[in-house]
Amino acid sequence: MDFDFTEEQLMLRGLARELLTAECPPTEVRAQMEDARGYSPSLWRQLAETGLLGIAVDEAHGGQALGMVELALVLEEMGRAAYPGPYLPTVVLAASALAAGGSRAQLDRYLTGIADGSVVATLALMEDRLAAGPEGIELRARAQGGEYVLTGHKRFVPFGHVADLILVAARTSEATDPRAGVTIFALDRDTPGISHQPNVQIDLTNKTSTLTLENVRVGADAVVGQVDGGWKILDGVLRRASVAAAAVMLGSARKCMELSVEYAKVREQFGQPIGTFQAIKHACAEMLVEVENAHGATYYAAWALDAAAPDAAFAASVAKSYVGEAARKVCGSAIQVHGGIGFTWEYDLHLYFKQAKLLEALYGDAEHHREQVLTEILAPAAVPALA
Amino acid sequence: MDLNESPEHRAYRARVRAWFEQHRPGSLDTFEDRRAWHRTLYDAGFVGMGWPKAYGGQDASPIEQAIVGEEMVRAQVPGTINALGIGFIGPTLIAHGTEAQKQRYVKKILTAEELWCQLYSEPGSGSDLASLKTTAVRDGDHYVVNGQKVWSSQAYNADYAILLARTDPTAPKHKGISYFILDMRAPGVDVRRLKQITGSSEFCEEFLTDVRIPVENRIGEEGQGWELAQTTLGFERGGNLLARVTAHKLTINRLIEVCKTLPRNGGVAIDDPLVRQKIGKMLAEVEVLRYAGLRLLSKLEKGQRPGPESSVDKLYYSEMDKRHQELILEILGPFGQLFEGGPPEVALNLRSTREDEGSWAYNYLWSRAGTIYSGSSEIQKNIIGERVLKLPREPRADRMARA
Ligand SMILES: Cc1cc2nc3c(=O)[nH]c(=O)nc-3n(C[C@H](O)[C@H](O)[C@H](O)COP(=O)(O)OP(=O)(O)OC[C@H]3O[C@@H](n4cnc5c(N)ncnc54)[C@H](O)[C@@H]3O)c2cc1C
Repeated sequence: MDFDFTEEQLMLRGLARELLTAECPPTEVRAQMEDARGYSPSLWRQLAETGLLGIAVDEAHGGQALGMVELALVLEEMGRAAYPGPYLPTVVLAASALAAGGSRAQLDRYLTGIADGSVVATLALMEDRLAAGPEGIELRARAQGGEYVLTGHKRFVPFGHVADLILVAARTSEATDPRAGVTIFALDRDTPGISHQPNVQIDLTNKTSTLTLENVRVGADAVVGQVDGGWKILDGVLRRASVAAAAVMLGSARKCMELSVEYAKVREQFGQPIGTFQAIKHACAEMLVEVENAHGATYYAAWALDAAAPDAAFAASVAKSYVGEAARKVCGSAIQVHGGIGFTWEYDLHLYFKQAKLLEALYGDAEHHREQVLTEILAPAAVPALA
Repeated sequence: MDLNESPEHRAYRARVRAWFEQHRPGSLDTFEDRRAWHRTLYDAGFVGMGWPKAYGGQDASPIEQAIVGEEMVRAQVPGTINALGIGFIGPTLIAHGTEAQKQRYVKKILTAEELWCQLYSEPGSGSDLASLKTTAVRDGDHYVVNGQKVWSSQAYNADYAILLARTDPTAPKHKGISYFILDMRAPGVDVRRLKQITGSSEFCEEFLTDVRIPVENRIGEEGQGWELAQTTLGFERGGNLLARVTAHKLTINRLIEVCKTLPRNGGVAIDDPLVRQKIGKMLAEVEVLRYAGLRLLSKLEKGQRPGPESSVDKLYYSEMDKRHQELILEILGPFGQLFEGGPPEVALNLRSTREDEGSWAYNYLWSRAGTIYSGSSEIQKNIIGERVLKLPREPRADRMARA
């Protein structure tokens, strides 16, 4: 029983923090906010050089084959930095889907590219019904002469507009069980018939878009995993994405708490630091409770995924639902503690506040994951975590 | 990071679980029944597990203690009695008592031969405990004690108390306090039961009139009482988080069972999305407390002692309990209001570890206590703010007077 990080894990975290502190200060975040691409290719190369893009990719494809705990440590640092870029979509969403179901050719081409930084990738999942589960996938892929023709649209595709590789979840056959009949296709960015409509959204640093597919034709070699068997892969991907999002939100929350505590020590009103006032002190204390709990939830879930623990799915949903709300509360409370300056564009708090809000909504919101938590408990083989 | 239970601990858990399957309490109607069951637990080595062998403990590891705590709750048997004695009076004596005091009192705390209570709070001194007015005046080889104490849990049953009293009225308020062992049967100790909002009478008030305490019953030096009280409160707040988690899970399990038959909106409650959201939230929050428990254990196993950080857990679990009991009563509607007499399929139906029969109604009322006793939520937040986050201290009249 050991809930602490190993030396190696702490070194990895140190490496990520150092790189992001140096290369991704708030000025850089703001620069990317204004940029249509929304991320810095040069920083992306540095992430590749330091091994952070291939962190969870297997060694045969140029990665380090580390686990979800390591990934979460890096993602938490990204949350701290309000890092703007397609790290989560590429390294978590796309890489996990490929690793779980990619053909040899797909792995060689895409996974290697992800590790070496040449491929930015994403996953297009949600549509109009906004369901995080399989019932939300309605986009059709029709088989036609050994090819598939995809028509429809996908919403909230993270960094879809710059992705070299877009994994699209489509429906290849109808069945009563929405989990059946889903297939994942790997589309290259310049495949004819693909277009993007960028979203104008709260979070300007993690850009998303609506992806429209009009008679997009791809060969059978674009299928990732089995035809009609995509949901099994996506289920695992979403589990990892939930924990990844929790890690980023944890980073945002921790940063907001630290900024608030520092500010409460120096900002004076009524002749004393505002941190002497209980309303402010108690707000900070509540932030700490949420941050500590969010830490426990995130890293327990990350560990459970790595250990393939029987309660891994349960823990991932606990983490996403808990941390999503915790981060919203903490980042929001930070703005309150800062008063007017906290509401100012020039001040950095809103960067974290906004990123956390986006991630709270993506990959299943708190309601979705609370339902999952209960479903797991009610399942015939209830998680052993329950006494 | 490795959160797996080791094979040794898994084996230990299996042995403990088997023990509880083979040993069930008989009748628990009287206090003596409870004491007999406590003695069985002690003889099995399950009471005061972390205490030194020399004083009747087991020198057990924190994980073993946690396992027993969890299994005891899981077995739905009442836990130990003498909760205050075992939770923190014994540990305080072990840390600060003289050898004679340890020999005299510690083991009897464990066996529950002698029951203890804590006389700290006074009508005018709760959160601001250091303002207490009860006096202990030296008279030869005795102290003469006068004053009033209140809200003392289990005092009606207690043989002994730890008592905080002022020995030096001229010293700054935190410095003039001393720490005593009080014989509750001594002349001049008048104990009156107080009725709580639950309707039962677990706590009491005491009137102390010219009570004589022998000098050898002082713990620590004269004037050291405040310091000692701080360490005891630390023990109290540490708590056994995982046993708490198990208890919460049993309650939620039962709630789920009830919701499978409870009619609601033309179906049963468990199919109602609003009910599902509430239960899902409770499950997630309890699970988060489990992770806090595991983190604490991981620290304890490495020999680290949590300091003021333990306020984070206390604040979370007491507020969580309050929130959850409210959610439960929202789900159960008027059925949640019943202490007894409702349809059995809706009842809590879990044996309480307290004197009362377990009921949703009782738990709902009782949940208001956790955010008050052992340092209210507001006080915990002050502690977290000032001692953990190092925010500037609140200007307070007593501190200004000292400055
Ligand atoms: C079930 C139960 C069992 C108990 N058992 C025992 C026992 O065995 N032995 C014993 O000695 N005592 C016991 N107590 C008493 C308990 O320790 C006190 O009730 C507690 O310390 C609070 O003190 P108080 O009741 O005087 O409230 P007060 O201190 O008067 O507080 C009233 C309100 O003011 C707030 N407040 C006070 N000071 C501050 C501050 N500085 N900043 C912000 N807010 C503040 C409090 O949080 C509270 O909300 C028990 C209490 C309960 C409810």
